[in-house]
Amino acid sequence: MGHNMARTSAAETGREATPARRVNIGMVVLAVTALTCLLGPFLWHFEATQIGAGLPFLGPGFEHPFGTDDLGRDQLARLMVGGRITVIVAAGSALLSILIGVTWGVLAAARRGWMDEVLMRTADAFMAIPQIVFALVFVAAFGSSILSLTIIIGVLLAPTTARIVRSVAMSELSSDYAVAARACGLGRTRVMATEILPNVLPTIMVQATINVAAAIILEATLSFIGLGIQPPDASWGTLLLQGYGKFYNSAWLVLVPTVWIVVTIWALTATSESLRSRARREAAA
Amino acid sequence: MGRFIVTRLAWSAMIIVASSILVFLVLRVLPSDPVLARLGASTGVDPDVIARLRAEAGLDDSIITQYLSWVGGVLKGDLGSSYASQIPVAQIIAERLPVTLELTFLAMLAVVLVSVPLALAAVFRGRSTADKAIGFLTSLGISVPLFVVSLILILVFASTLGWLPSRGYVPFIEDPSENLKLMILPVASLAFVASPLLIRHMRESMSEAESEAYVRTAVGKGAVRARVLLQHILRTSLVPTLTMLGLIVGYTLAGTVVVEYVFGLPGIGSLALEAALKRDYAVLQSVVILIVFMFVATTFIVDIVNGLIDPRVRVGAQHG
Repeated sequence: MGHNMARTSAAETGREATPARRVNIGMVVLAVTALTCLLGPFLWHFEATQIGAGLPFLGPGFEHPFGTDDLGRDQLARLMVGGRITVIVAAGSALLSILIGVTWGVLAAARRGWMDEVLMRTADAFMAIPQIVFALVFVAAFGSSILSLTIIIGVLLAPTTARIVRSVAMSELSSDYAVAARACGLGRTRVMATEILPNVLPTIMVQATINVAAAIILEATLSFIGLGIQPPDASWGTLLLQGYGKFYNSAWLVLVPTVWIVVTIWALTATSESLRSRARREAAA
Repeated sequence: MGRFIVTRLAWSAMIIVASSILVFLVLRVLPSDPVLARLGASTGVDPDVIARLRAEAGLDDSIITQYLSWVGGVLKGDLGSSYASQIPVAQIIAERLPVTLELTFLAMLAVVLVSVPLALAAVFRGRSTADKAIGFLTSLGISVPLFVVSLILILVFASTLGWLPSRGYVPFIEDPSENLKLMILPVASLAFVASPLLIRHMRESMSEAESEAYVRTAVGKGAVRARVLLQHILRTSLVPTLTMLGLIVGYTLAGTVVVEYVFGLPGIGSLALEAALKRDYAVLQSVVILIVFMFVATTFIVDIVNGLIDPRVRVGAQHG
């Protein structure tokens, strides 16, 4: 044990510089991506819907940095507008999953007993079924508008969040400061809200970042298999689906959205990892 | 052990029942009407025809009657008929299931063959270049969505190099070599996404075991590194590895929805997707419950095997 502890702490100090730098790269990439998608369409001189902005199936060039699609629409404009939908769905569903998941997890941790049992067993049952399979059923039933996709993905991501929040809240509840607060006569709900929740916040932040990544993957997958955002709207997944049908004409139509999605998810993963190690360092300090 | 099996069995049955109710309700409560979807956009269809089709499909009964008659049918092996094609659902599934089973089996084989040696290699030398390289590859693998992997593999091996076909299916019995050739890219996609999970998990559980006293004892007694790794460390990480493998079977089954669609394989994953697109609830609900069943059954088997290997698992489950 002692041997192991010595090694991890040595490793931690040795890596001190690296996580801090990765924070910045991951977060910078995220900020640039989000800004490009949200503001880019106002600044860029082609409209996403403008047919014949260039010749069809152009490769990347000065005029059209990411080429054009089969109708000669500018691919960069389409990617930025598509990214907007992706950002809205991902942010909305991550927020929803955090709202549901935190309430769910905190309630289970605070109440214990049968309530805890029922809440956690429900979470287990949900998690026992692959998300994409549930998503198929929900989308078939509720349709695939931006709103319903956001709700569906948010609900599907909630149980995992609930489990994690519960376990952190439980361990915080047994710590000295929580016991002290209870001893001072504060009610259980009060302790939860004013003492425990602020300490669970770092974990919630990490989970929120992970959920955004998971939401992007789920939305893109659903759109790619034809169950997500429907034309004329197009998220990154929809663009990939359209590019997939034409990639013998132009591989760029698949390649560019692919790289963009992978970079975004990598940036989210890097951000969540640095948030996690920061939370760990703060907890240790 | 008997009690452990019974509790796990009851839990598995509960999940299947709960999810069957959920799936059934979600598909019924909503306004979109499968009969109208079947008739398509054609307007001016005689209302009597619509009423007759609804009655034939049993859509006029109460939800509880519909659910019970579906469950009763499922237990007898009668899953009803597809709303769209009128072919019995059981027959459609029977035709398509072998494709998915083959795909899943080959993918799991690939995952184990890739992950176990890599995880061992990563742990063998501790913090080495190999360990770092494997660590980097696994975090990359976790960041890439399954359909993106499939697309990249098609771009490289099918459209650029032209080594492998990108779409199609031939039954193994008809032409084994062609069948396997068509399976390479789908299996590789699934394995690429699933292996990092197993490698990471094994690596963590093995490095944990490495710091245990009995490992130091073994090292202190002069056991060679390879022997400590294979005989002591690998054995302890067997239970967590099997648990992860069970989860991966589930992810892989879910992944077949995407992979079968991309590579044009006629399995139950693509069947579920087609049914969802066509709002063919008769097919969709049965396929989804089948996938849930396979997933839960895998978890159940893994739990029982873990209970056999490690008594703490079965005792812990009873007290927890």
